[in-house]
Amino acid sequence: MKFIIDRFDGKKNYQQTYTVEKQDIEALTLLGTLLFIKQHLDLTLNFTASCRMAICGACGVRVNGHAYLGCDTKMTELFEEYKDADTFRISPLANYTVLSDLVVDWEPAIENLRKIKPGLVAKDEFSEKEGCRQNQEQYDRIVGQWDCILCGVCASECNKLTADHSDYMEPFVFTHAWKLANDSRSKDPMIHTKAAVMNGLWNCVHCHECTNRCPKHISGAEDIAGLRALAMRKGLNSGVGPAHAKSFYTDLVEDSGRLNEIRLALRTEGVSTVARAGTAITLMRAGKMNPLEIFGGHEIEGHKDLVKMIEAAKAANKE
Amino acid sequence: MQKEFAFFPGCVLTQAAIEAKMSIEAIAPVLGITLKEIKGWSCCGASQAQDVDPLATLVANARNLALAEQMKLPVLTTCSTCLLMLRRAKAQLDNGQKEKINTYLAKGNMNYQGTSEVTSLLWLLAQNAEELKSKVKKPLSKLKVAVFYGCHSIRPSKDLGFESSTNPTSFETVVRALGAEVVPFTKRLDCCGFHAVYPAEKSVMKMTSGIVNSAAESKADCVVTPCPLCQMQLDIYQDDAQETTKSKARLPVIHLAQLVGLALGIDAKKLGLDYNVIDASKIA
Repeated sequence: MKFIIDRFDGKKNYQQTYTVEKQDIEALTLLGTLLFIKQHLDLTLNFTASCRMAICGACGVRVNGHAYLGCDTKMTELFEEYKDADTFRISPLANYTVLSDLVVDWEPAIENLRKIKPGLVAKDEFSEKEGCRQNQEQYDRIVGQWDCILCGVCASECNKLTADHSDYMEPFVFTHAWKLANDSRSKDPMIHTKAAVMNGLWNCVHCHECTNRCPKHISGAEDIAGLRALAMRKGLNSGVGPAHAKSFYTDLVEDSGRLNEIRLALRTEGVSTVARAGTAITLMRAGKMNPLEIFGGHEIEGHKDLVKMIEAAKAANKE
Repeated sequence: MQKEFAFFPGCVLTQAAIEAKMSIEAIAPVLGITLKEIKGWSCCGASQAQDVDPLATLVANARNLALAEQMKLPVLTTCSTCLLMLRRAKAQLDNGQKEKINTYLAKGNMNYQGTSEVTSLLWLLAQNAEELKSKVKKPLSKLKVAVFYGCHSIRPSKDLGFESSTNPTSFETVVRALGAEVVPFTKRLDCCGFHAVYPAEKSVMKMTSGIVNSAAESKADCVVTPCPLCQMQLDIYQDDAQETTKSKARLPVIHLAQLVGLALGIDAKKLGLDYNVIDASKIA
């Protein structure tokens, strides 16, 4: 069988095909296969790896366009996923600058991590002697996010980063911000949350690639949603992103119970803006938008009960 | 094939994607499916409301599911985001939240039990592809189709899980059953950007344009998607997106149910093909 590997020698990109016997690699991991190729076929192939037990996070690569942690992926799993394909394409993680073959530059991502202040700033009451104690519930809340090993798999798959990374950060950066903001030992969740908001929190496109690919089963997308809700609760709610999310909530709870598309545009961007006017005209011309909907109405059957249910939930969970 | 469903249209089918509702309601009787719209269904939160209040969003969807349970029917939707929101709520409820959330539902004399499964039009058709094929009257043999799954049909697997999210096949199975040719399309699993069109417009237009261009490079006659939100993004915003990236390609983007309807021999008008913004009349 064949492995087509994307290579880069510092100057030019090219693909190199390696032929191996399936029986030689079928009992290995993906990392094992890369090591096999390096040991038996091509000493010049570069990739990073260290612990071989899904702790160091060094061996993330893409197979057929999707990111995997090499040491945590069995070849048998790939055969199953890709229906016994006899050729696999192996590429470096996407959304990183390639340094050599499958080796990528982590420095810009680590710079982003620094922006959210990734160290725990402990509450004043904690002392050197007593340490930072947590009860089981407080520990359980954040333990999943502590599992992040900075493998970069989530960032590789992020559709927003691919489109434009200048106003966004790697999903794992938001996960680290969530973890610190929700740690009972943290002095102030806003130290981390505010930095997340200022660096693209609302620009997530909800593609859920980060959640889907994380080898540690951490949901970057849910951490982003959690940070957004926290920011809103703490009054950090200006801008298009918060206004857009709020308009769905307003329609659900305060208005009819269903989305009003005309009001959505107005609530998101304000009456004074004409940014979305062209779209509204397109929709009206196509007969898809009734301008009279601006007046709202059409409350769903049982909406008053829905509001009672939501109010009960809110009352029971007041901070 | 399960023949009767509690139908969850989702907000967009009542307004900007009215043709998605027209087409699913047109194909259902031909396929022998009865869609009973859930009375009093509310917005699922649209992958947005949880950013304001995740608990309120869960309560609203617990109520939506409980309404379907009262009808003693499984839920069917065609909107992938509704699918994700409803299935995620069901997973949360079935894994420990049920008792707590039921105390809130009780304020409206409702109760969630967990008896109604949630499926999508795509999944239903893929599971019954042979039956679908037997009902095709006008095989779409000359049509080259770029199938665009849309994120929330496949991701995240933990909530959707119908098939592999990196190598799904359901959509190809359905389109081939209709007699159409599925063209290789590199961006078939990408994100259209719909959910961030307001806060991240520049990026989203680039994403939308990339998908249209990729489909055009594959020589597709049209893009088809099971999700009305992806359809809106790729259709309504297509001209804006192409202007942003100075691209020329222009392709009709149609709903899964519209494509199925054409193969079943249903009149284009009944399938709401007039409502598509990029002219789709040539496909009919």
